[in-house]
Amino acid sequence: MNRRTLLGGLFATATVPAVAACSSGITSLEGEGGAGAGGGGSSADGVTIGTANFTENQILGHLYAAVLGAAGIRTTVRPNLGTREILIPALKGGDIDLLPEYQGALLHYLDAKAKETEEGEMQNALAVALPRGLQILPYGRAEDSDAFAVTRETAEKYGLKSLADLARHNGKLVIGAAPEVKKRTVGAVGLKDEYGVEFKEFKSLDSSGPLVKGALKKGDVDVANLFTTDTDILAEGWVVLTDPKNLIPGQHVVPLIADRKADSTVRKALARLGNALTTEDLTELNRQVDKDKKDPEDVANAWAAAHRLTK
Amino acid sequence: MYELFSDLGSWLTSGEQWAGPDGIAHRLAEHLQYSLIATLVAAVIALPVGLLIGHTGRGAFLAINLSSFGRALPTVGLVVLVFLASGLSMTPVYVALVALAVPAIVTNTYAGMTAVDADVKDAARGQGMRAHQVLFQVELPLALPLIMTGLRLALIQVVATATIAAYVSFGGLGRYVFDGLAQRDLVQVLGGAVLVAVIAVVLDLVLAGLQRALFRHRHHAAH
Repeated sequence: MNRRTLLGGLFATATVPAVAACSSGITSLEGEGGAGAGGGGSSADGVTIGTANFTENQILGHLYAAVLGAAGIRTTVRPNLGTREILIPALKGGDIDLLPEYQGALLHYLDAKAKETEEGEMQNALAVALPRGLQILPYGRAEDSDAFAVTRETAEKYGLKSLADLARHNGKLVIGAAPEVKKRTVGAVGLKDEYGVEFKEFKSLDSSGPLVKGALKKGDVDVANLFTTDTDILAEGWVVLTDPKNLIPGQHVVPLIADRKADSTVRKALARLGNALTTEDLTELNRQVDKDKKDPEDVANAWAAAHRLTK
Repeated sequence: MYELFSDLGSWLTSGEQWAGPDGIAHRLAEHLQYSLIATLVAAVIALPVGLLIGHTGRGAFLAINLSSFGRALPTVGLVVLVFLASGLSMTPVYVALVALAVPAIVTNTYAGMTAVDADVKDAARGQGMRAHQVLFQVELPLALPLIMTGLRLALIQVVATATIAAYVSFGGLGRYVFDGLAQRDLVQVLGGAVLVAVIAVVLDLVLAGLQRALFRHRHHAAH
């Protein structure tokens, strides 16, 4: 066993509890749908859509299924398969054919040293970095990127509008984020290098989950690393700090697909969806599933129908 | 595989890794501090309960089942629950660790007390000893080996679980495990895990040695 595979496997298993807050099921490739649902042939033989272990990705998977279904393609959605460490190999191996991805995160996964943050540049870099047999389609309007947010009270008290404003209060503010953010460029490292921001303390919590949001709400941290489609940002009236220096890479939703399935019917259907779905829509769909406890598939189908994408 | 172990070896032995606020020495001290405080608090709660139900023979079913509830609770879930209620502090961690440690102490103390020969207690009472004298001068000393075993079990469980302090941003050896997983640094994860295992084993051996020394001494005194 080489170190890389062990690491990947270990990381994948260990990440499951960490993201359990936004997942709702088991992580296994041996689920419903049956082996061999994906794999061979063209899109005429059906498309198997895999999704990662969090709400939004499952909604996106069902949205893909809705628009492809309307275009006459038979689809199978295999929700909640896990993290990239599981999904990308499954895609390469032909267990799944299509996966809703995010530009920046996917690029960073494929090439940890990638510097691109602008959407067009990232598309090019992704095309180069992807393994053979896989490709990305044009990215959609909806974006789920990292954000650094403060409460409205904190924003007023310190006069915070952008990430650059944080540097005026060096040594005073406490940041809460997932442990990896401490060493990431899109995190404490980049904030220091690009904006000269130095925090009083870094508190290792979770990724836009109950811990970091609870700590922000209670004032235990001043700045929290959240995702832009997190429904609590709007609900709580939190202020997302702007990023004038483009430290944070774009995270537009982008379909990652096996070459053999990427025919013009599939491309057209997914492109229509990408142009229709906005960040606000995605946030609202997340809210319906996370807060109203609706089924991701129902939510996706209802939205697609309401936006005339299934006709 | 070999590469992994040699990386782990150099991680564990590098002087740089041992120094500073993120260093092993400091994390180890934090880990021991959390573990000892949690076990002490658990002992303060559980010992009187165990002694009382063992001495009176009443309420054992209720007390043991109630306390075992703490062992059945998922520790991480309990941490998140208390965290959301009380905010970011060590409280959620201590609550979860104490809940984990209490059952072992209650059940072992109770078991030790009930194992005391009824004739011995009778004889003590026959000599005119009062209830508290029977408890402290007869039952407690006789139950002590099992009580110690309970404390040992509790401490080992707590040491192994105190890694969760890092889950809510605090220190201890769990810092290496959580940070290593998040940063995909397997050597750090293994290093943390190995250190936790080593201190659990060392503490258990030390306590076992202490236990043996204590009771050998008592046997001599009794003769």
